[in-house]
Amino acid sequence: MANSNLPRRIIKETQRLLSEPAPGISASPSEENMRYFNVMILGPSQSPYEGGVFKLELFLPEEYPMAAPKLGRICLDILKDKWSPALQIRTVLLSIQALLSAPNPDDPLSENIAKHWKANETEAVETAKEWTHLYASGE
Amino acid sequence: MGISLSRRRPNNHHHPQNPSSQLSSSYPTDQPSSSSSTPNYVFAANAPYSYSHPPQNSYPHPPAPPLPPQYYQYNTCGVGMNNRLNFYPPSYYYGSQNNNNNGWHGIRPPPMVSQTPVVPVPYVDHQMAKKIRNDVNVHKDTIKIEADEENMEGLLVSLTLDALVDGSITIIYFAKEGVDCSFTPLYPDARMLVRVPFQKGLGQKFRQPSGTGVDLGFFELDDLSKPSPGEDVFPLVILAEACLPLPLSDEQFDHPRPATSNAQITQAIIEKNSAGAFQAKVIKQILWVDGVRYELREIYGIGKSSETSFDDSDPGKECVICMSEPKDTAVLPCRHMCMCSECAKELRLQTNKCPICRQPIEELIEIRVNKVDQ
Repeated sequence: MANSNLPRRIIKETQRLLSEPAPGISASPSEENMRYFNVMILGPSQSPYEGGVFKLELFLPEEYPMAAPKLGRICLDILKDKWSPALQIRTVLLSIQALLSAPNPDDPLSENIAKHWKANETEAVETAKEWTHLYASGE
Repeated sequence: MGISLSRRRPNNHHHPQNPSSQLSSSYPTDQPSSSSSTPNYVFAANAPYSYSHPPQNSYPHPPAPPLPPQYYQYNTCGVGMNNRLNFYPPSYYYGSQNNNNNGWHGIRPPPMVSQTPVVPVPYVDHQMAKKIRNDVNVHKDTIKIEADEENMEGLLVSLTLDALVDGSITIIYFAKEGVDCSFTPLYPDARMLVRVPFQKGLGQKFRQPSGTGVDLGFFELDDLSKPSPGEDVFPLVILAEACLPLPLSDEQFDHPRPATSNAQITQAIIEKNSAGAFQAKVIKQILWVDGVRYELREIYGIGKSSETSFDDSDPGKECVICMSEPKDTAVLPCRHMCMCSECAKELRLQTNKCPICRQPIEELIEIRVNKVDQ
């Protein structure tokens, strides 16, 4: 039912995501609801998240593309006030991948971790590596 | 003088300012030195993205000639429409309201403040482009200043042009623009003005005859590398006229250009490259068609949509919003051609920001590239 009236844009984006996936990113739509995507982003090499597989859920609201995709708790301006309908699922996921390469402790989701990161980056990076290994090693 | 930051607020457009009259009438240009004159802009349909236009290294053998260009007329509705809002300028951009002396050159508007409270989306004009025909087109990326093998002091201008009729090229160094697209050499030296006829033909190469060149070493590099403060004098002006040359006289250039004499004018500065050779850099192109002066602008993204018929699988040609229809609507003042007309109408109900650059939308212009009305 939910898939019967899917806008052409969503179909096209999905086809392109599947046929030409961005390196280190996979996004596949759920069979029950084509607006719902299971996403996996590989931790970028040379980042503390290297070797990790980060799973996300992405949902395209009814207003999409006039409104941004819904993506859990990620602090990224293009998912909020800087959304533009010229952006796509692919560009959003690439932005998240880039955020893993260059975390922004000045605009954090978690205040505590940002504080730690700014106070002692080496230690924070170690924690990030550990947690990546513990929680995101793809098991 | 005629421009201020506040004039740019989109709330100028809360009320339709009689858009039909803007569409149907093209007012003749005033005297260019008048700051209250309203520039007309035209947009080149075949303007490529700057990055998709590789330098023509094999210059003496230019690529296959393109189709003669079509231009789309856009009459601005007032001085509030200016073109200095380009946050993402291409490698070259045409940045000047005509001849205003208000010291605005190069000033960028302040960055947009993201915390701006959401206000009701202002009315924006949505209008159709009107085509005008240009008989002569100088490819601005092909203009070169070359050594004259027979006279090493003289430098010759070469270029590639499309001409649908016979006509002439006039090269003027330090030419001042006067009333109705007339151009006068600032320095009374015959060498400052050279006029050469050409025959019609697309993609033809033009080169100033040997022996007629100018020794640019005579000038200060500083004078060559920028227009006069009011932008009425450019170091190099190339007039491509769509008519046979009349007997050349200095007087003729003091007179307003006849409405029947269609022309394309290229205004350039001259710089030295790293190898020490002079090179021309085009700043502005002007069309004089049926007695109206237009400034030529590029639209970003239009090249992709005009190349061939719409192909559903090419992401460069499709509307960025629905990704289904060919894009045919450009946003002004940022000149991003990125949407189909339906999505543009939908978008303007919800936001006043350009999807590409997020700059405020002042107007939307629909450009039907592939529909040729003969």
